[in-house]
Amino acid sequence: MIAEVYIKLKEGVSDPEGEATKKALNLLGFKNVKRVSSVKVFRIAIEGVSREEAEKEIEEMCKKLLANPVIHDYDIRWVG
Amino acid sequence: MDIRVAVLRIEGTNCEDETVRAFRALGAYAEAVHLKQFYSDMIRDDEVRSIWDYHCLVFPGGFSAGDYVRAGAIFSARVKSVLRRDLEEFIKEGYPVLGICNGFQILVELGALPGFDEDKPIADEPQMALAINDSNRFECRPTFLKHENRGKCVFTRKLKKEIVMYPVAHAEGKVVFPRGREEEYLERLIENDQIVFRYVDPEGNYSSYPWNPNGSFYNIAGICNVKGNVFGLMPHPERAFFGWQVGREEEVFDGKYVFESVIDYLRKFY
Amino acid sequence: MIMYREIYPGVYEIDILNAGDEELVKISEEMGLNLSLDEMKVIKEYFKNKGRNPRDIELQALGQAWSEHCCYKSSKYWLKKFLLGFKTDYVISTEYDAGVVEFDEEHAYVVALESHNHPSAVEPYGGAATGIGGILRDVLCMGAQPVALVDPLFFGDLSTPYEKLPPGIKHPVYLLEGVVAGIRDYGNRVGIPTVAGMVFFDESYLTNCLVNVGCVGVAKKDRIIPSKAGGEGDIFILAGGATGRDGIHGVTFASAELTDTESTRSAVQLGNPIMKEPLIHACLEIVEKGLLTGMKDLGGGGLSCAVGEMALAAGYGAEVWLDKVHLKEKDMKPWEIWISESQERMLLTVKPKHVDEVLYIFRKWDVPASVIGVVKGEKVLRVYYKDWLIYEMEIEFVTKGPEYCRATAERREKVEVDEVKEPEDYAKVFLKMISHPNVASKEWVIRQYDHEVRGNTVLKPLQGRIGFETHGDAAVVKPTDSWKGLAITADVNPWMTKIDPFWGTASSFDEMVRNLVAVNSEPHSFADCLNFGNPEKPERIWEFVESVKALGWMSKEFGLPCVSGNVSFYNETPYGGVAPTPTLMGIGIVEDVRRAVTSNFKREGSAIVLVGETKREFGGSLYSKVTGMKCNVVPKTDPKLLKRYSEAMLEAFRKFKVLSCHDPVEGGVAVALAEMAICGMGFEVSLDFIDLFSESNTRWIVEVKEAEKFVNFFKERGLKAKVIGYTGGDKLNYGKFSVELEEVEKAWRSGFSKFLR
Repeated sequence: MIAEVYIKLKEGVSDPEGEATKKALNLLGFKNVKRVSSVKVFRIAIEGVSREEAEKEIEEMCKKLLANPVIHDYDIRWVG
Repeated sequence: MDIRVAVLRIEGTNCEDETVRAFRALGAYAEAVHLKQFYSDMIRDDEVRSIWDYHCLVFPGGFSAGDYVRAGAIFSARVKSVLRRDLEEFIKEGYPVLGICNGFQILVELGALPGFDEDKPIADEPQMALAINDSNRFECRPTFLKHENRGKCVFTRKLKKEIVMYPVAHAEGKVVFPRGREEEYLERLIENDQIVFRYVDPEGNYSSYPWNPNGSFYNIAGICNVKGNVFGLMPHPERAFFGWQVGREEEVFDGKYVFESVIDYLRKFY
Repeated sequence: MIMYREIYPGVYEIDILNAGDEELVKISEEMGLNLSLDEMKVIKEYFKNKGRNPRDIELQALGQAWSEHCCYKSSKYWLKKFLLGFKTDYVISTEYDAGVVEFDEEHAYVVALESHNHPSAVEPYGGAATGIGGILRDVLCMGAQPVALVDPLFFGDLSTPYEKLPPGIKHPVYLLEGVVAGIRDYGNRVGIPTVAGMVFFDESYLTNCLVNVGCVGVAKKDRIIPSKAGGEGDIFILAGGATGRDGIHGVTFASAELTDTESTRSAVQLGNPIMKEPLIHACLEIVEKGLLTGMKDLGGGGLSCAVGEMALAAGYGAEVWLDKVHLKEKDMKPWEIWISESQERMLLTVKPKHVDEVLYIFRKWDVPASVIGVVKGEKVLRVYYKDWLIYEMEIEFVTKGPEYCRATAERREKVEVDEVKEPEDYAKVFLKMISHPNVASKEWVIRQYDHEVRGNTVLKPLQGRIGFETHGDAAVVKPTDSWKGLAITADVNPWMTKIDPFWGTASSFDEMVRNLVAVNSEPHSFADCLNFGNPEKPERIWEFVESVKALGWMSKEFGLPCVSGNVSFYNETPYGGVAPTPTLMGIGIVEDVRRAVTSNFKREGSAIVLVGETKREFGGSLYSKVTGMKCNVVPKTDPKLLKRYSEAMLEAFRKFKVLSCHDPVEGGVAVALAEMAICGMGFEVSLDFIDLFSESNTRWIVEVKEAEKFVNFFKERGLKAKVIGYTGGDKLNYGKFSVELEEVEKAWRSGFSKFLR
């Protein structure tokens, strides 16, 4: 099983990387770009447990390492 | 008494030598210790260490584990997995713990700062964050810091100057508290005397970039826990320890106070 | 005819014994060997004598070893003739990847400088990062702790319109941002300060950016490690990152013109600073404990070059077991393992009794390491894969490589042109100069590099009043417990070398010496990184020869040894070649770091003295560039006179209270004075047109208290010095014109950064 874990900044937390990228894209002539957000993705292959258990484990991983709850939201999507 | 300081490292830690040097210059015994020396089976006997061999632990600057995932996240996860109970005990006993730059990030990720709960010095999850600088760039520059601690922090008790100069060098140093609860956090920090350093301009005014190099909330550069024995700051006092490091004629400079204060605290305490 | 035949799984034999000229060329092309027909014929002859055909791994190894990058076949004749061989008694060794020079009784410093041009043009982030990785290994393999990094960079004009870019070429802004990010992320992560460098823009770099990287390290003299095998029976240990397909054919790629930057990405390696950092710690611990006999980094050509060079340098042979190498990918062919240029790897030779201890130290630092071979007495290299002998050649044949003395053709303009005249509007021209990206503040770059990690940087690249800093002349680090320091600078003036490679190179040397002297350090040694176009073109090799001649002449006559170097040819695309770019890294000794001198004006009312003589020399000058007035009279210099001035300056530093010092470079005295003032103190001087803007060599600007005595001190020695004015106020008053400090500061601070995010 493969899960993709999306780590995003919470709404309202400033995103300098996204903003700088937006500015650069605008300068390059992509005038229609209105917003860019930086998102980090971890692709995790997990075996030997049920999907339900795996999902629980990944939640734990997010809490223990992958995200900082003060600034991040996370989102788990199964891709395989 | 022989004061013993461990400067902890894993791969990517890289300010351990100058941090060790600062303690040694003041007569303490300090050494760089790899985290593995505390727990790993493969370490030979003569290199095995316990945190109880030391009176003070320091998480120095650098890019531990490459700052991958998030600055300090991996080092703190490793500490949590092998050292959590000992470290909590260590802090409860009143032994001092210092985090400089990457070390501050580690203490935040570990939940040891802001450290509001004296009985549970390491929170289950992070209570604050050190986010990417507003400039979206790594910033290596001198900063002016106003010392605002009223005596709680054991790392600045000998500091009599109001404003000091320590350089910063980081990409993720912006203090962020949970959204919507900033004021509540701030009140608690002020009430508990946990705010230690705030970024100011050369005249001592709270100011924006570049004087506040990362856009930190309330210009916060360094805080301590509620007990005053865990201290984290983004600027590097070990880079402003000697006058020659900052182009000054004096033999020692502002950075000295942090190390001197904790040594003095330990001498009195034990 | 069948040219390739699989003799073991993954190992092919190539039928060159029956190959005609056309087929030999085809084999070289198909296998990516980049060897000429003549070279292929030599190889054919060699195997004819052996009575067998070569295997793919053997031909690949020859392709690596005989590449320009590895064996300097086009340059070594000229380097030997003009530059190498001059040493002073304090030079310890120059024969390996990094030069070793005495620092004090106990310590030596180690210097290396090289290019990472082609990879950076293709993939700026990865290319520049691995450049840093490579130069660190060059210093580390001598047993030294790296203490400073230096990065001179060269790009096309930042204002180049996107629609003017040739197909497949990346925009200079993109390249610059990528290169700076690569250096930042690698250099900062390994914890070695980036203390000096330069960023230079010229249209000739549009299709060929240059990324040079330098490193200085410090070692205990009795712990210096040679890059050669210790003795028969010593064990080869390969330590560090796993070996993968990244970077295969990197050296052959660097030894040909770059034709397309999109499709050649496979030859760029990826870096992993978090493997490098513990690798440095582990290697230094092994060095400190005296557990190894030799060490070499794996750079161009990978294992094939490292094993060969270590064995040959010691006069031995070797046996290697390729299946013992730890791999990133399972199905790599033996030849790929042999020539892979994967990063973060070191090759050590160790006495058999120390193998366990060495492996323990690597394990402790979580650095993978494996025993992969043994040093043999016979000067033959044999490579095994599982039980099969798949490579067997005499080491000398492989490693020595060919040597060429290629035809040269002069392209210097024979007639002097000098159309330079006074500007109509002085202030306007001056503001153009001060905001030119080659002059303007590089703070945007410098602050992204940690230039203070290790806590030993005494003079930083930005100096003066905090928040209002200016550029320094050279960085100073304090590498040991004593007060002694190392001054480090990187210099070259491509606008001058473009017009006249001889005098342009001599001027660059002069500038390097001036920068070292300006911070109160005694010039001690230098390294060069010679970046040129395609050496098969006679006018390019001529440029190279002129440049090397000038370096050799300056070096010997001044008495400054060249201790390390690198040649990078083929910096050329169908759109043209780079301006001749002999980058120099100068090292000076500072007797007491507390007496190092900075460049910003310190006190109101001090006298400003110009030391040296100004002539009408505008060739390659910034003035000529911004006004478009033609001039090909490149400044000349005299190494003996430079020496006399340098010695007098250093003596004057001891005798007089010198508050600040700076040397005029691009833009002459006018720009240099502005840089000294930019931290917030104006001045009033009186200078004529030539004095203001000419870029004559061997000059310094000095802020002193006792002006008269200071000037007389030089006059007594038959040298020139004059008071040109006084500090103070908030204007830059040049006599001929005057500008507000604030306006100048704004122009200087934004001239470069306005192009960037």
